[in-house]
Amino acid sequence: MRGAAPPRPPAAPATKPGYAGPRTPDRKPDLNGIWQVMNTAHWNVEAHSASEGIPAGFSVVEGGSIPYQPAALAKRNENFKNRLMADPIRKCYMPGVPRATYMPFPFEITQTPKHIGIAYEFAHATRTIFLDGTPHMEDLDFWMGDGRGRWEGDTLVIDTVSLGDQTWFDQAGNFHSDALKVNERLTPTDVNHIDYEVTIEDPKVFTRPWKMHMIVYRRMEKDLELLDYECAEHVYEKLFQQKAGKP
Amino acid sequence: MLTRLIGLAAIVLIVPSLATAQTQGTPAPTGAPAPAAGRGAAPPANYPPYTRPVSTYVPPRTPDGQPDISGLYLAIPLPRNIETPSVPMAARGPNRANGEFSYSLNERPKLPEGAIVRPAGVDPADGKIPLKPEAMQLRKEIIANQEKVERLDGRVLCLAPGIPRSTVPAPVVGYQIFQKPGYVVIFYEQSHLYRTIPLDGRASLDPKIQKAMGVSRGHWEGNVLVVEVTNFTNNLENNWVIGAVSATPGVPAESLATGHGIPHSDVYRVTERYTPIDANTIHYEAVINDEKVFTQPWTLAWYGFARAPKDYVPIEYACFEGNAKNLLLMTNTDISGIRVNVP
Repeated sequence: MRGAAPPRPPAAPATKPGYAGPRTPDRKPDLNGIWQVMNTAHWNVEAHSASEGIPAGFSVVEGGSIPYQPAALAKRNENFKNRLMADPIRKCYMPGVPRATYMPFPFEITQTPKHIGIAYEFAHATRTIFLDGTPHMEDLDFWMGDGRGRWEGDTLVIDTVSLGDQTWFDQAGNFHSDALKVNERLTPTDVNHIDYEVTIEDPKVFTRPWKMHMIVYRRMEKDLELLDYECAEHVYEKLFQQKAGKP
Repeated sequence: MLTRLIGLAAIVLIVPSLATAQTQGTPAPTGAPAPAAGRGAAPPANYPPYTRPVSTYVPPRTPDGQPDISGLYLAIPLPRNIETPSVPMAARGPNRANGEFSYSLNERPKLPEGAIVRPAGVDPADGKIPLKPEAMQLRKEIIANQEKVERLDGRVLCLAPGIPRSTVPAPVVGYQIFQKPGYVVIFYEQSHLYRTIPLDGRASLDPKIQKAMGVSRGHWEGNVLVVEVTNFTNNLENNWVIGAVSATPGVPAESLATGHGIPHSDVYRVTERYTPIDANTIHYEAVINDEKVFTQPWTLAWYGFARAPKDYVPIEYACFEGNAKNLLLMTNTDISGIRVNVP
């Protein structure tokens, strides 16, 4: 939680002066490696007590609650009731942005001057972030969106659009429409930590843009690599068991 | 871009491997040394012995000193299919599989000058996959039962196709090769697959850890990237790691030329060689080992990667997300009510 932190000046270079970690040959902070968030946002981005199988957690939403429009709040509550069947993750769909960042699975960043590739262990989702100044493609619909990035000082800023309306923010039914725009700011504070700030804008669902904050941690185990959560395989395992008459 | 997306959407809906709209194959390039099989004629049984291409091209170096092959690529269509059928199929064009490519916005990459037109299965020289009799028996059963979801091609189920199948040209043809210190990373446009290939000589993983795309360990031999791939998932018999585009419905297994219907065992492993031929072309070779399935190691090789046009943008291909309706239509299987526990 960074709720008490002073507001950042927009577009200021090196908002955390003093990043002294390694840099790539083009002098950007070196984000190559495997990272993971350690919080409970995947289950509920808002504050929540524990329930069966789900750890309690603080809110990662600036100000505590998501500023839903009244009808949207009712839909969120309906989603929550139906979450065991309705959560797109449980159908093995790609998690979308920003949810992919804070699922309880690691992800790997591969950084080049023109592209940043992000590979997620869950359902082998990927993003290729274009840093070459090319504009978004027009009005499309992708599970992981169309992400275009740039460096503002030592902060990697990614604007993602075309995210569709099929993904959720968490298992608690927090949702968005196809008007979603996501702005992510990744500011490495040292070699092993990234300050992750994401701004959610969706005028069809929320009364105003809102922010989430969390820390992304470098996974430091030697020779670590991403493994598989081949979610679709588990769907077919269940299907074949059902067809074979096994419970 | 929209045109291409519409093309991809159509592929999702039609499902490549059982598409029946195929009309004609692609004619073999002229001037090739191998004789072209006529319609219904027996395919040529033997080709000149395969030799690895000798490349004098020296790629630029990455900042950490690797040969730099990074960038966006498109698949080059196979000159022929994977294999020479054991039993020729009458009344079938010799190269039909290659016609299913979707290059709606991009010119179809061409074979380099002088490349031999032959099956991608280059060793043994007869172009046939050296299946053990029991593997052929299983293959016959699988191919004869493609209307059953339990036997359906894993790529139609949107399972990760493994290696080398992820590199065998498919209707979704883009690749992105990244290089960072100590690693080569490949993103496949097909089903948003990826591999991270460490180059530091570390051992593979505990055999108890299996991955659909295998566990990759690479090293550079001069300018050639060599990758050993092991630890493949084999929990589902739908995981066929070989297979080019579509198997023609109704074609007996012995007459297939596509590498379909061959599940691998727990000892399956592959050695890949990526040879940069020039600044725009990479030759691909995969040596396949599985003593439980094949009578001998065998080799697939072809000119695999052509550098993509400058304005090429990889597009998300979300295979599984749109597949429930396909399965219902194709096999009367309803997966729409199945939910998976996630942490």
